[in-house]
Amino acid sequence: MSRTNIIALLIFGAILGYFLSFGPDMTQKFKSGVYQLLAPFLTSGSGLKKQITSVSTGLKSLDQLEHENSALQIENRELRATNQGLRDVEHEVNRLRNALNYRQRSVFKLIAAEIVARDSSTWWRTVTINRGKRDGTEIDMPVVTAEGLVGKITTVSSNISLVLLASDENCRVAASVEGSREQGIVSGERVTTGLSPLLDLNFLTKQADLKPGQRVYTSGVGGVFPSGLLIGGVKSFRVRELDGQAQLTPAVDLSHLEDVFVVTGRR
Amino acid sequence: MIFFFLLLVLVLTAQISELFIPALPWLYDAHVYIVPVIVFYGAMALPFPLMLALALYAGILLDALTVQVIGGKVEISAGSSILLYGVLAGIMHGLRPLFARGRWEAHCILSGIFTSLIVLAQYLMITFRRGSFVLTREIWWQIGGPGLIAMAVAPILFWLLQWIGRMTAYSYGPERGNIE
Repeated sequence: MSRTNIIALLIFGAILGYFLSFGPDMTQKFKSGVYQLLAPFLTSGSGLKKQITSVSTGLKSLDQLEHENSALQIENRELRATNQGLRDVEHEVNRLRNALNYRQRSVFKLIAAEIVARDSSTWWRTVTINRGKRDGTEIDMPVVTAEGLVGKITTVSSNISLVLLASDENCRVAASVEGSREQGIVSGERVTTGLSPLLDLNFLTKQADLKPGQRVYTSGVGGVFPSGLLIGGVKSFRVRELDGQAQLTPAVDLSHLEDVFVVTGRR
Repeated sequence: MIFFFLLLVLVLTAQISELFIPALPWLYDAHVYIVPVIVFYGAMALPFPLMLALALYAGILLDALTVQVIGGKVEISAGSSILLYGVLAGIMHGLRPLFARGRWEAHCILSGIFTSLIVLAQYLMITFRRGSFVLTREIWWQIGGPGLIAMAVAPILFWLLQWIGRMTAYSYGPERGNIE
């Protein structure tokens, strides 16, 4: 091995050792720092993705027009393109109207945020939102929609934040079941497939006997999530050796999130 | 050197693009990873010091995006991706003579296997932290799927990167060891 290679290997080893020595605080700072650098790319990438999606939807409409009269094609294409644009606007207006309504009637102080990127890793369920320290978000703040709980913030940089979704195994939420005295801990599953991941409600009593459709809310125990946020509905219940476990369908469609709210406190 | 900097830009672009590529529902929600293929190509094309620099750079980016600090605890240590990329790229670098003779098959297959190894290593690390070791069919697919995808895209990406190399007048000598 040449001298240059040995020096390169030593430098590599030293930098690796430096990173491996990071504690939680340093890791958090490092992660925030890199996200800060990537923030402009993430926000512009999100805009670009929306444009591409819009164009591809428009092209699908054009494909359908192939079988129609050739003389009408150009006019039809223009009309469909205009229509597509209007549909996008209508969808956005409805979305923002719902968000505004929820914000006005909510008992919480909320910061509206938009999802700019989704998790690219296999084992973690996270999304990136376009609100950061500058907007008042902090680590461990709950994130919700009008339908219910979404997750909590785990990393904050100055203008974007990372949200750990309720469907992640690491996101543990103290919960209580509607119409019963049962309390437990909700967490996601390690591996989820399909469009709607399920949640597990653990540490219930064996006698809980929950019925499908019963609603599960945050209990407020633990201090991160305020009480009364809807987590989901019971899908099934089973008795295990030591406790009872229920599977929940999340109240929020976590795979199609667009707008969320960060809870900063109560009004 | 131009080629090396282009690889750095491509790694960054690919890493950001991965955030916008949805998981594949028909492959048990397996994710698409492009960065490892670029890094492994760099491992074959670049001299040893630059190969380490590329692995370090890609590892830092992957660490920043995957390391989770929850409740004051780090799930996977920062630096683990650097180590993974360093070791795997080092192995790939050892197969450089074969690549320089124009044989790509082994490297395409290895790119896929190594991509899956990265996902497997992450899974083993989180399993060690969280406990309860489980290996279901879904998990196997989520580990193997990215590897299969990487194997499939590797020939195209290798060809593209080879073309970029030619455009930047980068030459791949089997005995090449010095930084340009």
